[in-house]
Amino acid sequence: MKEQNTNGQTDNRPILEVHNLKKYFPVRSGFFQRITGHVKAVDGVTFSVPENDVLGIVGESGCGKTTLGRTILRLYDPSEGEILYRGGDGTITDIAQLPRHAIKPFRREMRMIFQDPFSSLNPRFPVKDIIAEPLIIQRECKGQELEDRVAALMRRVGLDPDYMRRYPHEFSGGQRQRIGLARTLCLNPRLIVGDDPVSALDVSIQAQVLNLIVELKEEFGLTLLFIAHDLSVVEHISDRIMVMYVGKCVEIAPTPEVLGNPLHPYTEALISAVPPADPDIRPQRILLQGDVPSPADPPSGCVFHPRCRYAKPVCSQETPELREVHPGHYAACHFADTLELNAIGSEE
Amino acid sequence: MSTTMTPTLITSEADIDLARNDRYESYFQLLWTRFSKSRPAAIGGLMILCLLVLALFSEFFAPTDPSEIVFRDSFIPPQRLQFVDAEGTFHLVPFTYNQVFTIDPVTSQTIWAKDTSQRYHLRLFVRSWEYKVLGIFPSRLHLFGVEEGGTLYLMGTGRFGRDLWGRACMAGRISLSLSIFAVLVSVSIGAIVGVISGYYRGRIDWAIQRLIEFLVSFPPLPLWMALAAVIPPQMDSLSIFMVMVVIFAMLGWTLTAREVRGKVLSYGETDFVLAAKEMGASDARIIFRHLFPNSLSHIIVVLTLTIPQIILAEAFLSFLGIGIQEPLVSWGFLMKNAQNLETLGSNLWILSPTIFIVFAVLGFNFLGDGLRDAADPYSIV
Repeated sequence: MKEQNTNGQTDNRPILEVHNLKKYFPVRSGFFQRITGHVKAVDGVTFSVPENDVLGIVGESGCGKTTLGRTILRLYDPSEGEILYRGGDGTITDIAQLPRHAIKPFRREMRMIFQDPFSSLNPRFPVKDIIAEPLIIQRECKGQELEDRVAALMRRVGLDPDYMRRYPHEFSGGQRQRIGLARTLCLNPRLIVGDDPVSALDVSIQAQVLNLIVELKEEFGLTLLFIAHDLSVVEHISDRIMVMYVGKCVEIAPTPEVLGNPLHPYTEALISAVPPADPDIRPQRILLQGDVPSPADPPSGCVFHPRCRYAKPVCSQETPELREVHPGHYAACHFADTLELNAIGSEE
Repeated sequence: MSTTMTPTLITSEADIDLARNDRYESYFQLLWTRFSKSRPAAIGGLMILCLLVLALFSEFFAPTDPSEIVFRDSFIPPQRLQFVDAEGTFHLVPFTYNQVFTIDPVTSQTIWAKDTSQRYHLRLFVRSWEYKVLGIFPSRLHLFGVEEGGTLYLMGTGRFGRDLWGRACMAGRISLSLSIFAVLVSVSIGAIVGVISGYYRGRIDWAIQRLIEFLVSFPPLPLWMALAAVIPPQMDSLSIFMVMVVIFAMLGWTLTAREVRGKVLSYGETDFVLAAKEMGASDARIIFRHLFPNSLSHIIVVLTLTIPQIILAEAFLSFLGIGIQEPLVSWGFLMKNAQNLETLGSNLWILSPTIFIVFAVLGFNFLGDGLRDAADPYSIV
């Protein structure tokens, strides 16, 4: 019933608004563990997600996308910024300001799918206990009802409920990720942060699990934050895509805009890495030189300038703001208006 | 619904239950499977079992009453069971000769010699001195003994003429129970401190680790001696036993705490702990449902490997005479007389309880090794 309500009308008010979110990890050293610096894992990220939308978040390893997801769910305490969550009844809560004990009710509605299906399931728990754990923690139900709900969830994600007494090590990676999905869904969440949920799976299994996630999203009326390191994973399921680089959002726009009209050189490089569907097309790969800079000591000015092939002197001196270049298309580049960047599938 | 329907219904439900429980193995079943395949563990376990049985039923295994004081029989060397008598005749049933002493006219030392006039043959399941099995059921039955009038001191006798073999068996009660108690207490403290240290990290962890470093930097022997020395001498032996348990527990938890902390630190990094936080689990739930069960195998291993250390430490203190007091006896206490070099020089066999200590230490080490291998059954899938 609840699903029908949320499904029935498309609501474009944002379920989640993040303003200038920062997460700095202190770097401690020495005998007395003094703070000697900060890793700026997430450094001033702003975005909003409308209800029932899918926002894809992409970036290289170490760009802060996992930290962003965990900070939104308050697995990490944010250093600064606002996380405004609109509940089912329309009340808006700043998750970032909540004291720890007050977060628990929101943990029903905001859930996470973990990246690694091997380490995210306790090896000492049988599947039933793993899936039922949120129900037990939130005191939702117990006994036979609990077992029935676990069985129903297992069926829904494509697992045989007869296996509920087995241990995770008896399952394959794809099956384990389905167990994780069942655990995520068991409290009827509204917002799910998927932290690269398919990256640890075989390519053949990836599509199955992705399709399942999309199906469940429709069925349960979910809003998804889908984190991935690979544009090709998010391009098919996302309504909008946010590109992150060294803790900052460098471009955010609807999916066709990002892919068809990228405005940031880093997005261009990511797009060029997507394998084309047509084997005859030989795309011009843009190989970025060097590594992602350390978030403990990010470069001056535009964080991307040391690896940018269009960099000009101003790039190392002034930090570009994320600005609306076209309606609904935001980019953080000094030359977003003038650069001619390659879109998806284009040959140079 | 007809009554004929019922049996089919039940069978089908039973079938479902069978299918559900098919191949279902709990953690401890898996642990047992791997443990029982490990040869050192089996040997170690058997050694410990032997010692426990010897200790619990020590009167049954003792041919002479180990608490009977016979000053005349002081420091009798170990008697051998022999098949060939003084005339060279072979006997199928082994026998002993009694020992008689003469005094050396020059050094006035006691010299024990065999009295070959009378053979005393070995008998199994003899009835002799009375005792109570486990302190409850009176019995006169003993596993072995020699014929009436003979003596059988397998490991010789001590200063007061008591049978060292029987006393060593009996001393196992105190040595083993003291070390097991002390280890249980110390591992419990260590596990709790370790989990707290590893889970909360930060300042708490820093403080606990510095405290542990401070404690382990003390030289252990003088510290034990100092602690044992403050025990009031008029204390009854049971209280002394308890105080000894506390002393060893207080000083033994540091190793466990460090090991468990390491485990918890590594598990704290894994996603299933993060997932539990994400579900809104309390700290207590994360600690007791996730971290503790996953560290349990490790704790059991530390436990078995700490027991030998405490056995040795207890033996050392009791040897010095600042540990267990009469009427309780422990293996180290039995060798107290060996402190006197003159006594030791002429009666080397009074060190024979060492055999029990070596046996126990080796047994627990083997057991711990086997457990360590078995502890992670999920590592091989």
